[in-house]
Amino acid sequence: MDAMNWLVLVLIVLLLAALAFVVIRRRGRAGGVFATKPKP
Amino acid sequence: MHASQINGLPVVTVQGGEDVAEVRDVIYSPEAGHLVGLTLNKRGFLAGRRREVLPVAAIHAIGRDAVMVADESSLALPEDAPDDVAHPGADRNVVGDDVLTVGGVSLGTVRDLVLLVGSAGEVVGYEIEKAGGGRGYIPLPAQLAVSGSALVVPDITEEFVRDDLVGLGAAVDDFRARLGLR
Repeated sequence: MDAMNWLVLVLIVLLLAALAFVVIRRRGRAGGVFATKPKP
Repeated sequence: MHASQINGLPVVTVQGGEDVAEVRDVIYSPEAGHLVGLTLNKRGFLAGRRREVLPVAAIHAIGRDAVMVADESSLALPEDAPDDVAHPGADRNVVGDDVLTVGGVSLGTVRDLVLLVGSAGEVVGYEIEKAGGGRGYIPLPAQLAVSGSALVVPDITEEFVRDDLVGLGAAVDDFRARLGLR
């Protein structure tokens, strides 16, 4: 494989890593509606 | 107003108009029938969770487009906030819970929480996905069994399932009167 192919491969891997980072980060910001525990 | 509409709203100070945080979680007490507080994210597309939380007593107003607080000091550190707000049970997200009557009839699944507009976070009912399909609304009694998987409501709730928010408004008072709560 020549240098150009390696460069494309590295760019694709970096792009996928960046996409995964954004998705995980956005999911981490997602909230919910929580009920408190009943008091004894 | 629905609780999910609060998720993601900016938290803005009345004094200064600063946009200090974004709402992450809505925490409410089914026993008391009102919100107890909000957890927060930092502002920005990829910013993470904010350590401070917002107890309901520190909220100036919950509006359609923003949650208003007096100033940034209204945000409380977890150690200074009520435990329910500082450490919400991650297993107690009620959206998606089954709604079951005491008699064992499934009314559907919870889609959202309905709040009284202009109140300090008073919760009056639930929006549900009805077991037979379609959207419905049920009034919230003052006392309710809520776990992380099922919402157990009195048998008479079945009679008070309404198709829209206007119907729910009328049903809340009748429902609570029938339960002897008012």
